[in-house]
Amino acid sequence: MENDKSLLKVEDLKTYFYSKEGTVKAVDGVNFSINRGETLGIAGESGCGKSVTAQSILRLTPKNGRIENGRILLRTDEKTVDLVSLKASGDEIRKIRGKKISIIFQEPMTSFSMVHTIGSQIIEVIRLHQGCTRKEARDRTLELLNMVGLSAEQAIDAYPFSLSGGMRQRAMIAMSLSCMPSLLIADEPTTAVDVTIQAQVLKLLRRIQKEKQMALIMITHDLAVLSELCDKVMIMYLGKDVEHAPTKELFSNPKHPYTKGLLNSVPKLHQGPRQKIEAIKGTVPSPYALPTGCSFHPRCPDFIPGLCDKEIPKLFDVDENHKVSCFLYQ
Amino acid sequence: MLRFILHRILWMIPTLLFISILSFIIIEAPPGDFMTTYVSRLREQGEDMGQVTIDGLRARYGLDQPIYVKYFKWIRGVVQGDFGQSLEWQRPVADLLRARLPWSILISLSSLLFVYLIAIPIGVYSATHLYSKLDYFFNLVGFIGLAIPNFLFALIMLWFIFQRTGNAAIGLFSREFLMAPWSFARVIDLFKHLWLPALVIGTAGTAGMIRIMRANLLDELSKAYVMVARAKGLSERKVLYKYPFRIALNPVVSTIGWTLPALFSGEVLVSIVLGIPTIAPIFLGSLMGQDMFLAGSIVFIMATLTVIGTLISDILLGWLDPRIRESI
Repeated sequence: MENDKSLLKVEDLKTYFYSKEGTVKAVDGVNFSINRGETLGIAGESGCGKSVTAQSILRLTPKNGRIENGRILLRTDEKTVDLVSLKASGDEIRKIRGKKISIIFQEPMTSFSMVHTIGSQIIEVIRLHQGCTRKEARDRTLELLNMVGLSAEQAIDAYPFSLSGGMRQRAMIAMSLSCMPSLLIADEPTTAVDVTIQAQVLKLLRRIQKEKQMALIMITHDLAVLSELCDKVMIMYLGKDVEHAPTKELFSNPKHPYTKGLLNSVPKLHQGPRQKIEAIKGTVPSPYALPTGCSFHPRCPDFIPGLCDKEIPKLFDVDENHKVSCFLYQ
Repeated sequence: MLRFILHRILWMIPTLLFISILSFIIIEAPPGDFMTTYVSRLREQGEDMGQVTIDGLRARYGLDQPIYVKYFKWIRGVVQGDFGQSLEWQRPVADLLRARLPWSILISLSSLLFVYLIAIPIGVYSATHLYSKLDYFFNLVGFIGLAIPNFLFALIMLWFIFQRTGNAAIGLFSREFLMAPWSFARVIDLFKHLWLPALVIGTAGTAGMIRIMRANLLDELSKAYVMVARAKGLSERKVLYKYPFRIALNPVVSTIGWTLPALFSGEVLVSIVLGIPTIAPIFLGSLMGQDMFLAGSIVFIMATLTVIGTLISDILLGWLDPRIRESI
């Protein structure tokens, strides 16, 4: 990694959850890296481990979740740190949270505390990481709120419940940008807002990301969002990364049967009203009883008996930037 | 906010009037009146009173009048600050209340303080250390506290203190301070006695409050804004106290309104067992002796305190939570 220019590199990350019912391998060996100013999309069905991956990076997983394996290497100006080796509530990770890496969650309704003003919640982050005066922090907050297109003077003293969902998500973006992080993780930022707002939020994210040369990890199950926003994409299925490719390549030349299924299950505009949507057959298996071998094999149209149900495929190179974990491309 | 407070204070007037009518009717509901109880008590002691004397007294006290006349006479006095005469004590009700009400309020408030001081920290600990050994321990103690009757707990404590020290922990003062004028030493002596009734009366409330605090905080801890606060880089302490704790306090604050009257009624038996000169023992006596002006006045004052308690908790809630503030 020393000579490589990636900002964040995740290697064989495994995050497991423990409960009375058993162990859930929410993230089970994920690898990816992202460069400065680059946009990476992470996509997959609900429950595939996208959000847990994001939470693991900032060490925010709930108490019953534990990172079992892997490295999360973050390169800062001075040095490279392995976030996995830090204490989950220690000083070091706290200096990274909100300052070097910010995260936007999907629920704009509950992401702010309802009894504090928007302003006080943003000023708090600025003062925490930059140690400036209240006045300076307030001016900076006004700037940020303006930047995300809110009428800053009103929004800064408003309570979250008096703002609409879209406005809250803008305020959330303003808060996540308050210390100009080098990496922004957006965990389904548009899932809970309606379509017109979605477009605005995405536009805003793209504009800011370009302006500030920030790296952006966009977590979504919406393929349209991926094609709009991302340079490259990682597809996840049941805690594993099954395909990596540049966005254009992924949409024009998907390799993994699961990726193909995902792309086919979206209606296409130019094919008119009576097109057949091909759903992926079967359902996502219970996380407590994962299939043997490739976890996609029970739903896979190209299943090779004796191989896919016995062995776990590793990532095979299709070309330099395109990797897929499927025996078809061995 | 000011408008809200004024509005609420104005509403207190019809509420209290309604309560006074209702309580007067209930007190009058049992057959007979003060004279019936009085005469039968005399008969038990072998004395008798002529029917003429009885009727004379009844007329003098106004007991022969219809209930609404009695009520209006009484409530007219109450409005002017005169609560009437206690038939049994042969003294103005106001005098009796003046001597005892401060003790009742003092004990209720110190129990309340005890409840919050103990319950909030334990509730927070239990919620943040869910299913830990101490959490289970506090749960167990809490359930015992809820289940044990106050008067029994008072008796056990009395026995226990007597066994350990040889003193009967009765009353609010030691003998040498009982009639003494107020001094610093007397206040200290008061506090030495006050903890026991506060503890006994507050136990059940504390147990209940721990459950409320724990459940509220657990609810709040799982909300998205907690993870957001953590993702900002705040310390765990700040994450807990600035956000979920603030919001979890709301239901606790809103219980002030009904905690006060609950403590009042919890106090009755305890005051009798521990020999504390609160309002409770004379209240019980007035109900048994059908001393209706005294009983009515006590109910009326308790109701007033309850309504005031509710008002205080509403004001605090408005101050704590902008959502409530803006909806009023």
